[in-house]
Amino acid sequence: MDSNKITITINDQQYKVDPGQTVMQAADKCGYRIPRLCYHPKLSIEGACRVCIVQIEGVRNYVASCAYPVADGMKIYTNTKELRRARRDIVELLLDNHPMDCHTCDRDGNCELQRLAYSMGIRQRHFEGERKHYEKDLSSTSVIRDPDKCILCGRCVRMCSEIQGVHCLTQAHRGFNTVVMPAYNLPFAESVCTACGQCINVCPTASFVEKNYTQDLFEKLNDPDLITVAQVAPSVRAAIGEGFGLPPGRNMEGQIAATLRHMGFNYVFDTQFSADLTIMEEASEFLERVQSKGPLPLITSCSSAWMKYMEQFYPDLIENISTAKSPMSMASAMIKTYFAEKIKVDPKKILSVAFMCCTAKKYEAARPELEVRGMRTTDIVITTRELVWMAKSAGIDFVNIKPEKFDEPLGLSSGAGAIFGVTGGVMEAAIRTAYELYTGETLIDIELNDIRGFKGVKEAKVMLDGQELRLAVAHGLGNAHQVLEMVRKDRSRFHFVEVMGCPGGCIGGGGQPYPLVNSIPLDEECLKLRAQALYGLDREKTIRRSHENPDVQRLYREFLGRPLSEKSHELLHTHYKAKLPRGIVSPELKIV
Amino acid sequence: MPTPLDLIKKKRAEAVSRIIGKGYLSTKRVYVGMATCEIAAGSKDVMEVFQKAISLGLTDVYLSQKGCAGRCNLEPTVEVIESGKSPVKYGKVDKDRAMQIIERHLKNGQVIQEWVID
Amino acid sequence: MATTYGIIVCDGTPCINSGARTLTSALQEQLDKHGLHDKAAIHLSGCLGMCDKGPIVVVNPGYTIYGHVTEADIPEIIEEHLVHGRPVARLAIQEDHLYNRFFRVFGDAKFFGKQMRITLRNCGIIDPENIDDYLSLRGYEALAKAVTDLTPAQVVAEVETSGLRGRGGAGFPTGLKWKFAAAQKATPKHVICNADEGDPGAFMDRSAIEGDPHTVVEGMAIGGYAVGASKGIVYIRAEYPLAIKRITKAIKDARAHGLLGDNILGSDFSFDIEIRLGAGAFVCGEETALIHSIEGARGMPRPRPPYPSVKGLFGQPTLINNVETWANIPVIILDGANWFRTVGTETSKGTKVFALAGKVVNTGLIEVPMGTTLREIVYDVGGGIPDGKKFKAVQTGGPSGGCLPEEYLDTPIDYDSLARAGSIMGSGGMIVIDEDSCMVDIAKFFLEFTQNESCGKCTPCREGTKRMLEILTRITEGKGQAGDIEKLERLGDTIRKASLCGLGQSAPNPVLSTIKNFRAEYEEHIHEKRCRARACTNLVTYQITEKCVGCGACRRVCPVGAITGAAKKPHVIDQDKCVKCGMCFNTCKFDAIVKV
Repeated sequence: MDSNKITITINDQQYKVDPGQTVMQAADKCGYRIPRLCYHPKLSIEGACRVCIVQIEGVRNYVASCAYPVADGMKIYTNTKELRRARRDIVELLLDNHPMDCHTCDRDGNCELQRLAYSMGIRQRHFEGERKHYEKDLSSTSVIRDPDKCILCGRCVRMCSEIQGVHCLTQAHRGFNTVVMPAYNLPFAESVCTACGQCINVCPTASFVEKNYTQDLFEKLNDPDLITVAQVAPSVRAAIGEGFGLPPGRNMEGQIAATLRHMGFNYVFDTQFSADLTIMEEASEFLERVQSKGPLPLITSCSSAWMKYMEQFYPDLIENISTAKSPMSMASAMIKTYFAEKIKVDPKKILSVAFMCCTAKKYEAARPELEVRGMRTTDIVITTRELVWMAKSAGIDFVNIKPEKFDEPLGLSSGAGAIFGVTGGVMEAAIRTAYELYTGETLIDIELNDIRGFKGVKEAKVMLDGQELRLAVAHGLGNAHQVLEMVRKDRSRFHFVEVMGCPGGCIGGGGQPYPLVNSIPLDEECLKLRAQALYGLDREKTIRRSHENPDVQRLYREFLGRPLSEKSHELLHTHYKAKLPRGIVSPELKIV
Repeated sequence: MPTPLDLIKKKRAEAVSRIIGKGYLSTKRVYVGMATCEIAAGSKDVMEVFQKAISLGLTDVYLSQKGCAGRCNLEPTVEVIESGKSPVKYGKVDKDRAMQIIERHLKNGQVIQEWVID
Repeated sequence: MATTYGIIVCDGTPCINSGARTLTSALQEQLDKHGLHDKAAIHLSGCLGMCDKGPIVVVNPGYTIYGHVTEADIPEIIEEHLVHGRPVARLAIQEDHLYNRFFRVFGDAKFFGKQMRITLRNCGIIDPENIDDYLSLRGYEALAKAVTDLTPAQVVAEVETSGLRGRGGAGFPTGLKWKFAAAQKATPKHVICNADEGDPGAFMDRSAIEGDPHTVVEGMAIGGYAVGASKGIVYIRAEYPLAIKRITKAIKDARAHGLLGDNILGSDFSFDIEIRLGAGAFVCGEETALIHSIEGARGMPRPRPPYPSVKGLFGQPTLINNVETWANIPVIILDGANWFRTVGTETSKGTKVFALAGKVVNTGLIEVPMGTTLREIVYDVGGGIPDGKKFKAVQTGGPSGGCLPEEYLDTPIDYDSLARAGSIMGSGGMIVIDEDSCMVDIAKFFLEFTQNESCGKCTPCREGTKRMLEILTRITEGKGQAGDIEKLERLGDTIRKASLCGLGQSAPNPVLSTIKNFRAEYEEHIHEKRCRARACTNLVTYQITEKCVGCGACRRVCPVGAITGAAKKPHVIDQDKCVKCGMCFNTCKFDAIVKV
């Protein structure tokens, strides 16, 4: 085993390391942490920022340790006087073309450039000169692009193309005028951007931030004429602790409910409840299609970024998309109908606010197709990150606050509703219910391990009354692309496909807290811990199947009738249509 | 079975015959520089003058284009090669000079010394 | 088979002195005697450069070069060589194969005297759009020889032995590149010709393709055979329409002759070439950026390794060479690596093409053996500085190179000597600078270019060159500050060592080399607010001397009315109004206006 190792020297100390890795990877394992910026383990090697440069004996110039492979006998220096100066110069050059408005910046205190400048010991600036200036792109409902803060590390570009397969962003122009933008410099709102927010997650500065609705919300919370109703998505509770310095994976739902009430919400509901509702509708839809040989595979539709992606790139698959609304939109529809009737208020007086792990939900909330009886159902969407800030701003001791419960009648949920937030969760939840609805028997082994975990595309088979059902699960739009190409080639390959727009599912959403100091965005360990929090929630519950949720049963009894009823269709289902932003050619159009 | 080398030698011989067939062994060969830079300096016009002269009956001339001769500051260039005589390269040739080269050099064998590149 | 007979007599001064001119009549006499006067022509050539072996007579067919020829040898040469087709071995100079390629460069001895043409051997000689012209000059014979007589490994070995180094600028040993690409197991492999020439003022590749496109095609086919590739791509910038037209025609003609396509010349080897147009980004001359561009991505370099010979186009092994490098290949294969090694210096073999420009009498496209000195190029080939001005510097390597002052004029041209002197070989731009040019301004010009052409990917190149440019700009505007030179040096050092690709790594060179060699000029600008070349507008004032006759021409052209004066009386310039446009200076017929 050891014979395969090679010997390298780092700063005059010898180490035995595995071959076939980069200098940075080897140094990481030997106890060094070479400063870095554009590097991200999930993305391709860019080698652009030049912060991670090292000196290698016999090599004339400094090399980027993120890209350079180790070799036997290599002598590496990571901290010489010249290197320190060059690295400091490089970070200084980034600062010289940066607005330096740290105190009024969204990322203040959580900015990689700021931390880097601190660790480089930059106390003086030598090369100040012209700074770039571009207009902010405020067009999107979800993501704000501020090129002035961009340091051109290219993480967003790589994330958008390599992981998400959207290819919305690219570098344009040259030299000092280089800028990241969508094709044709279109406003985000008109571009192919799916609003997934992953660019925000990987951006080291505040060049991408979510569109912030917190000030608006604070004002409305003080409006005595409004009934303020909140709902909280599963993954928010699994990640929000990180925003207060807690390790990932703590379920903070009680603290969230208490905090929202402290902030002035009249009712705090749980999106996990409506996740159960979604399962009722979607599982029924699935069974209907299996029985009537309707368009299969059925493809899930609860991820809003994924819906936009599908409408743009796979409009030929619209008939395969589940018409069931997302849990957020189902909850909002119920809040403004069922719940409004229950508390006997005019639904127009209800302010429906969704706390989501997601930036694309801001986009979803504004979709006209989701209106109910002429009303927009979700008035404001707030991300986990924004909620962290709101709690701090409102002076709430989030970590130590006494946990509280969600309100009835939209607050009780099954374990199936909780796992919605993890990739594979919707599928797992749907199978739990579909199996029983179809066979009349209870599925005993309800944890479908084949579709858990972070493999990009997961496939599984289940037997349903002697019929083999083939399932596929994809998370991240790039992986979705893989599965959809399979579907396009052979529609009978799968019966049921779950797609989540973000890596890991909602737990890796574009609205989740920025990484803790010294950890990286979308770190797999962090995602695992967030997932475990939701799986733990599932296991703790006595009710783990959506159809067993008594409040869901009551809702059908009192209001909706049954799944796929006329009223369900009116309130809980929607439709999709092809979107062709500039630059997209519909698949039917053959380019001659 | 001929080898590729045999084949290429045969091709060369054929190429030479074709060139000769086009009058390469005529007494006067005229090469007009036709690279981008020469064209920019006006060699297309010069070429046209020679082409026109041939179409109007100038005989015993083998007219060809050629690539960059390297003499940027003296372009367009025209080279006249005559059997048994020292080849002549003219610089800064324009329409007028081309016509005079035809009249004086090609028709009357008189080298126009002041335009010769030396 | 009918062929042309051509006899070239070297008419260089040394050959004349050793009796060359008496040979012409003897030759004519013998031709007449054998009735060959219709089929053969006698040419006088410019100096062929083999002065120690003069008089030189070159006889076609075969381009045999005879040395030390006397009148007494002529009957034998004509009888044996032309009548019986048997070259006269005792007179033939075997080792100088090269000069047979030179036989049509004549009548222009001053310019071509120090030159030697390998890459441009057919350039300016053949009709580039007529494949017959190329074929008649042993065109595609190297390819035929390779596939007939040599294994791919032998071809690689030949290129390696030749000592050829990449002509694109960096001078990486070509043979080594070929060896790496040939050793790769992955298929398919690709061959690329980098014709994305982009240095300001450089036109070597364009001229080579326009003048002799088949050479490049043949070189690429040989490369494809050597490394086991069946597909080649010429990446050429769209601003070169004529070169594109000619190479496209060359490829088409070669296909029609079975010199490209399946089973070339009846062999097992198949190879074809397609053209990809570049949009004119300088950085796309960098090989990894070029590959990205062909792949349809933004032309941005990526860190190496892996090198393209291992992972190149679409992740496959890719052999990528510059136009000039490719053009050398057929000669090396045909005439042998051992012959090629005789040209050039110890570490740099063969010749180098330069686009000679700037303040020099003969601007032009030149090709000289490695080892020729800068002085020989500037004064012998270039004919010196025009208008009696003083030489100041020679800039080599374009925006990646440096400026070398007078004391470096005896530097021999090769990769290592130029690097030692503080410049680079580069792809072949060479600009001669005289006393009227300001070195700070020159450095600024090149840096402006690299800053505009930086792809914007890596920090030092994108941001650093901008800051350097700002400092240079303020120096030329008379706003330089103490410490600016040191800042330039510090930034330059960081950019050079830390940038991702060659563009950034070499971008500070024009600045650093001018600081090194012309530091006093920088200091004058900063501390004395003075530009000795009077090229920096802000540091110059226009004044009217007593030579003024009061003609009023300057007053009439001045766009801001800064000049006053009565007719036939000396005029004056109001310095507060003057915008330093230079109109008066250019208009004055009496040299009465001076820049101070």
